Amino acid sequence: MINNISKKLLSFIIVLSSFQLSVIAQDGDAAAGETLFKNNCAQCHATDASVIVGPGMAGIEDRRDAAWIKKWVNNPAAVIASGDKYAVELYEKFNKTQMTAFPAFGEAEIKNILAYIKQANSAPAPTAAPADGAAAAQAQDTGGGQFFNIVLVVLLVIMGMVLVALLAVLNLLTKLSTADGEEYKSPMDALKANLKGLAADKTIRTAAVWLFIILATKASLDGMFKIGVHQGYAPEQPIKFSHKLHAGDMQINCAYCHTGVYKGKQSGIPSSSICMNCHNTIKKESPEIQKIYAAIEKNQPIEWVRVHNLPDLAYFNHSQHTTVGGLDCANCHGDIQKMEVVEQRSTLTMGWCIDCHRKTDVNSKGNAYYDALLTAHKSTSKETMKVEDNGGLECAKCHY
Amino acid sequence: MKNTKSYIAIVFSLIAGLSLVSCNSHDDTGWEFAPNMYNSRAYEPLTQINSNSINPGGLNMRKPVAGTIARRKFNTKFTQEDGSVVEDLMVYDFGKDDLALAANVKNPIPWSEQAEEEGKVLYERNCMHCHGEKGAGDGKVAAKYKGVPNYSSDALKNVSAGHIFHVITFGKGRMWPHAAQVTPIERWKIAHYVARLQIGG
Repeated sequence: MINNISKKLLSFIIVLSSFQLSVIAQDGDAAAGETLFKNNCAQCHATDASVIVGPGMAGIEDRRDAAWIKKWVNNPAAVIASGDKYAVELYEKFNKTQMTAFPAFGEAEIKNILAYIKQANSAPAPTAAPADGAAAAQAQDTGGGQFFNIVLVVLLVIMGMVLVALLAVLNLLTKLSTADGEEYKSPMDALKANLKGLAADKTIRTAAVWLFIILATKASLDGMFKIGVHQGYAPEQPIKFSHKLHAGDMQINCAYCHTGVYKGKQSGIPSSSICMNCHNTIKKESPEIQKIYAAIEKNQPIEWVRVHNLPDLAYFNHSQHTTVGGLDCANCHGDIQKMEVVEQRSTLTMGWCIDCHRKTDVNSKGNAYYDALLTAHKSTSKETMKVEDNGGLECAKCHY
Repeated sequence: MKNTKSYIAIVFSLIAGLSLVSCNSHDDTGWEFAPNMYNSRAYEPLTQINSNSINPGGLNMRKPVAGTIARRKFNTKFTQEDGSVVEDLMVYDFGKDDLALAANVKNPIPWSEQAEEEGKVLYERNCMHCHGEKGAGDGKVAAKYKGVPNYSSDALKNVSAGHIFHVITFGKGRMWPHAAQVTPIERWKIAHYVARLQIGG
């Protein structure tokens, strides 16, 4: 039985593959065409009918002949300028985006590419299914968080009910156990009697007072050390911009948007023109991105909330730390590429600055400025040159 | 009756205790001491405390007057390989549609390993998320943005440094201008590295 099925399957596969072979055995070389298409065309054209930037290529041979296609690929601008009706309509239809010219393509290359397009369209499309699966998995993922929350709430309610039931049972049991003549005492009264006994004890009273004093002192000291320290500050921003998506998943470098970070004192807040470099196309309809469009139309600033604030009494320069010192952004800002909402991870206190200046070696590699300093340092010390050796602890470096 | 009162007392103290623990709000910077030393009295562009009543939009920053020319912060004299010195202010009189004209402009920065290495760093910061690590148009963002070409494709493998400079400055096709983010000297350095990618790394 199984043998029979496998034989049938085998013959089916043979028929399929011979069918594919017959497709390849056309006048163009589809394999060469595939390389050409993927290197030069696939960025804007799909082999099927879907539009990426330009039209999908399915059925192109029915629409245009090979000679026209060659003329167009070699110099699209000239074909449009010549007033070719089809070309002009194409140009208008695709928002007047002109195709890049490929003057080096001869007849053979065009034929190879056409053969590849034909082959790709005759083969079954296997890519659609996994993409759907991934989308479904993602949808489930986002549902997961909410489900978890509901479970937590239900568990809390159940726990509350169990507590009430237990108290009721306790009440009942005490009532039953005191049934024979004794005066009934509720658990609350029993607890009170116990507490009164404890409070009457002098040692315990003194211990309680001391415990209170010690805890209160610690709490107030901790509180005072937090004055002016914004660690953990993660304000809600006017637009729900996700650093996790942009810097993490999309791997856009920090300096692409924070253009000043290697050049100046401030890393800078990107202007909306930088957002528009991508969002002129990507997710234009999202309500969050429409806020950028609205700001541009009304010529109003987007009021981002600054997260990392140094007091005015301290001077800090980004370029000195990034370009000269060679530090990564994450050194001070933490794993920004994992944050949906940016949070201040470091304390940014003076002690924190000083600590790093004491521990960190001066980044003197390939920087002739430090050569003489290094020689001078070596003559007096066996240790490597730290930032503190170069005046990194002097008051006036940061406070003036 | 007495019992309910004690229950209320217990619940109340529990709530008070919890609120003490959980009062760490993420929207709040916490206590500050002597804010007059924290907040700048002078107008500062990115540490703005109050809305500015003088400028449009309540901003401390103002747009430069129309026609303002940025002061150059970079070198303008470049020693070429043959020893001659080229002086290039990197201010070019071409517009958005003068790609053919710009393609003839020579890169004033002579090629050197260091210049290409600097170009690579700048490429990785400003271009790679779309154009891909090797310039094949396969960056993470390109998968969403679409239509990012391959540098080593037949149409682009021979374009000049001037062409690349013009495209960074004014954009081309679907790419938007990046003149505000990338300075002229950085564009010429990027052109050196893109030339490497045009021949496939």
